Amino acid sequence: MDAATIEKSKEKNDIYVSELNQPIKGVSLWKDAWRRLKKNKMAMFGLVVVIVYAILSITAPILPIYSYKYQVLEHQYLPPSLNKNAGQLLLEREEMLLLAMANKMGRSELNQQERDKLVRLKEQVAMETREIDGEVVKVHERRYILGTDSLGRDLLARIIYGGQVSIAIGIIGTITSVFIGIVIGALAGYLGGRIDYIITRIIDVMYGMPYMMLVIILMALFGRNILNLFFALAIVSWLTVARVVRGQIISLKNSEFVEAARSIGASTGRIVFRHLVPNTLGVIVVFSTLRIPSFIMLESFLSFLGLGVQAPFASWGSLVSDGVEGMNLYPWRLFFPAIAMVVFLFAMNFLGDGLRDALDPQSKNKL
Amino acid sequence: MTKFVIRRFIGLFPTLFVIITLSFFIVRAAPGGPFDREKRLPPEIMRNIEKKYNLDEPLLMQYGRYILDILRGDLGPSFSYPDHDVNYFIFNSLPKSLILGSIALGIAVIVGVGVGMISSVRQNTWVDYTAMSFAVMGITIPLFVVGPVLMYFLALRLNWLPTSGWVTGQHGWVTIIMPVVTLSLPYFAYNARLSRASILEVLRSDYVRTARAKGLREIVIMFKHVLKGALLPVVSYLGPAFAGIITGSVVVERIFRIPGLGQFFVQAAFNRDYTLLMGTVIVYSVILIIMNFIVDIVYGFLDPRISYS
Amino acid sequence: MNSELVLKVEDLRTYFNTDDGIVKAVDGISFELHKGETLGLVGESGCGKSVSCLSVMKLIPSPPGRIMSGQAMLQGKNILDYPVDKIRQIRGGKVSMIFQDPMTSLNPFLRISTQMIETIRLHQGLDKIQAKDKAIDMLRLVGIPNPVKRVDDYPHQFSGGMRQRVMIAMALSCNPEVLIADEPSTALDVTIQAQILEIIKELSVKLGTAVILITHDLGVVAGMCDKICVMYAGKIVEKAKVDELYNDPKHPYTQGLIKSVPRLDKPGKQRLYSIEGQPPNLIDLPDVCSFHPRCEYAMDICRQKYPPEFSVDGRSVRCWLYKEEK
Repeated sequence: MDAATIEKSKEKNDIYVSELNQPIKGVSLWKDAWRRLKKNKMAMFGLVVVIVYAILSITAPILPIYSYKYQVLEHQYLPPSLNKNAGQLLLEREEMLLLAMANKMGRSELNQQERDKLVRLKEQVAMETREIDGEVVKVHERRYILGTDSLGRDLLARIIYGGQVSIAIGIIGTITSVFIGIVIGALAGYLGGRIDYIITRIIDVMYGMPYMMLVIILMALFGRNILNLFFALAIVSWLTVARVVRGQIISLKNSEFVEAARSIGASTGRIVFRHLVPNTLGVIVVFSTLRIPSFIMLESFLSFLGLGVQAPFASWGSLVSDGVEGMNLYPWRLFFPAIAMVVFLFAMNFLGDGLRDALDPQSKNKL
Repeated sequence: MTKFVIRRFIGLFPTLFVIITLSFFIVRAAPGGPFDREKRLPPEIMRNIEKKYNLDEPLLMQYGRYILDILRGDLGPSFSYPDHDVNYFIFNSLPKSLILGSIALGIAVIVGVGVGMISSVRQNTWVDYTAMSFAVMGITIPLFVVGPVLMYFLALRLNWLPTSGWVTGQHGWVTIIMPVVTLSLPYFAYNARLSRASILEVLRSDYVRTARAKGLREIVIMFKHVLKGALLPVVSYLGPAFAGIITGSVVVERIFRIPGLGQFFVQAAFNRDYTLLMGTVIVYSVILIIMNFIVDIVYGFLDPRISYS
Repeated sequence: MNSELVLKVEDLRTYFNTDDGIVKAVDGISFELHKGETLGLVGESGCGKSVSCLSVMKLIPSPPGRIMSGQAMLQGKNILDYPVDKIRQIRGGKVSMIFQDPMTSLNPFLRISTQMIETIRLHQGLDKIQAKDKAIDMLRLVGIPNPVKRVDDYPHQFSGGMRQRVMIAMALSCNPEVLIADEPSTALDVTIQAQILEIIKELSVKLGTAVILITHDLGVVAGMCDKICVMYAGKIVEKAKVDELYNDPKHPYTQGLIKSVPRLDKPGKQRLYSIEGQPPNLIDLPDVCSFHPRCEYAMDICRQKYPPEFSVDGRSVRCWLYKEEK
């Protein structure tokens, strides 16, 4: 065996060859799962999309986009445009308005007074500058690729920053609820007895309550800041995690490796957190991936009712909510944020489904 | 079987009690009262108002009084709409919400299971793929996107349906189409996926293999052997589905301007209108609890392992 | 057992198309079954014994699996060629099958009476009342106490052993020519195992049913069967009458199997014997003797070609050791 063959066999070091010359691949849970995940095109597509969104969100402050909160009131309701800048759009709009008024008065052309108006506007548009974030800018040369909202803010920037907020809420909310759920579920599952009974009862009662109502009430009563939002969302969503973790732990509790650990004197905490929880990780990972879109939707739902993030911040939900009013005249305010959000939700869902298939292809929870 | 029903029925009351009590105290714990306006009212007037509504009594007394009132069926006066009491608002708006919700649930179940069945029988064909893709869309796209988008295309651009209003108005039952479709979509989609997966799993089970080994026809196997077991997860899901429909109705009623119970819910919270808010919470909770009860019973009915144990 | 030939399987091949390759689960097996005979189909898990019998009943799920070739002659007619509706008449009617796990093989949501009556009415055309009476009779035959009342119970109201008796009753209710019992006692307690096997034997004698008993347990086979087929990696490697097999196993695998059974009657403290190695992966199996890596008698030719069937002492073995004795 020369160096080259040894190298090659080291590369494929998890492929053995049986005596009948049949290849046998070694199996490690994560490697195997990754292999399966790679085969799933929808899931990989989802992964790519999620990464793109993540990059956009993280690099938002350094991206060459406009501010999400600076208002140019004259620029309100500008339609999306790839080639025309704000000034041109303003001129077009003014011209159409003047023509419409002229038609009403029986004329089909603009008179001198109106044409003068246009010329003055043209000059103003060419010259006017504003100071934005410390820079002096020719404000009417701005190009709003996705249009503007009711206060003249760039929709593209708002969607990207809104994405930051939405995704952050999704991630933090998920982490919090998962964390709470794991601790409670693991303790209930492992300790059993009275503690388990009490915790299960609490979960059952809370499960039966219309928790969204509770969240709505909490938000409406205690104020609409981000802290309350997290608090409210986290309170109601650890339930499912706790149940799932508890179930897993109960089924694993009596398996042999736990007996083995106990027989060499491992303590309860150690058993729970170093042995049982890692075995439930697969389920938790899948669950978390599917929870993030769920949280985003919850927050959007609240925003729609006016209970979510407040101005000047935006989230996809609040953007859609704003966009619904006036969607007849300014549909882009509804459609662009909606598309951005829906694409992300789809991607997360595909990714989550793919992860579930990859980590446990025979799962009973396959939908 | 009857013992089972009775046992479950008795269990309803504690839950309801907990909900009422919790809501009562949470609502009162919030900052701000029902009569805080932007301009502060003179103290004597405030005192009179508080006396009239018993707000000056200790909290526990107010609680006791409230429970007694409920038992008599009186949900109290509305603090923000002084001309009417809570019962009035509820009786006028509840039927509309109920109709909306029930039809939505009905569609979600019947159409959902139907699609799931067809998908499972035609697994991995184009029928399956289209149906499941559609289902994924239904689950992922939020209600408040679907509603406005539907309204945009069907009502504003194509003018096929009216944008708002309710059945008894000038447009008749057509007005109900978009709200119902919007509200039922995510639950129909989930049901389709759920029933498909469940049926597929049952089709792989040992007892279906036995049924085939006995020479039964596939149709007989599907309807006699498979459905009963496969529908259990769907029945279980009915409870949460209905809860979701209730919550969703708040948004759908707002989008399509339907005068149902939902409009009062959020508004009452904002206005600190304790009685109206509590009234709506109680009504929703009762409906939900009854629904869960029915689901429990149906589940017990379908699964002999539960009722015959 | 010189009675009429009931089932003759010839060169049956069933392959499965999986993501990792083609699994040759059953790769050319043949056997004969006569009226009243009990045939034992023995082998390790995964050797293809269940798949063989499922193939005969055409119960192989068809997207991944396919019966590639072969014949199964039931009373002279090849049932593998039958269209779906004709095969359904055979299933449960002429050929019945009972499965390993009685807990999951009965529909938990339907009463026993429903499940038994549907078979009886399907194959024997009786009306509901007659069918129910027949069901009660069958339950009595397999030893279920108080059958009149019990017939209306649900499966979960029976114990494991009782459930398997119900399965047997159901399978034999239409008086089939062949009963295929796939590991009928494996999932049951040891004490119940013997009872179940007893019932199967008794009824097969009483009703004249031929039985194919699938198992991995040599002890079970010894008491029950008239002749035995030993399977390994999708092929039958040895066929013999039961006494002949135990007294004089020819194929090295059979010898290994018999040596592996722990014996109380052998003297002294002996180490438990087990065949070294593992059964091969059924994907991409080359056309050599699949047992040779584990065989102490392996020769060069074993590594080159799969041995055909050789006749030895009136039996057949697929092993190169017996090449000369043709």
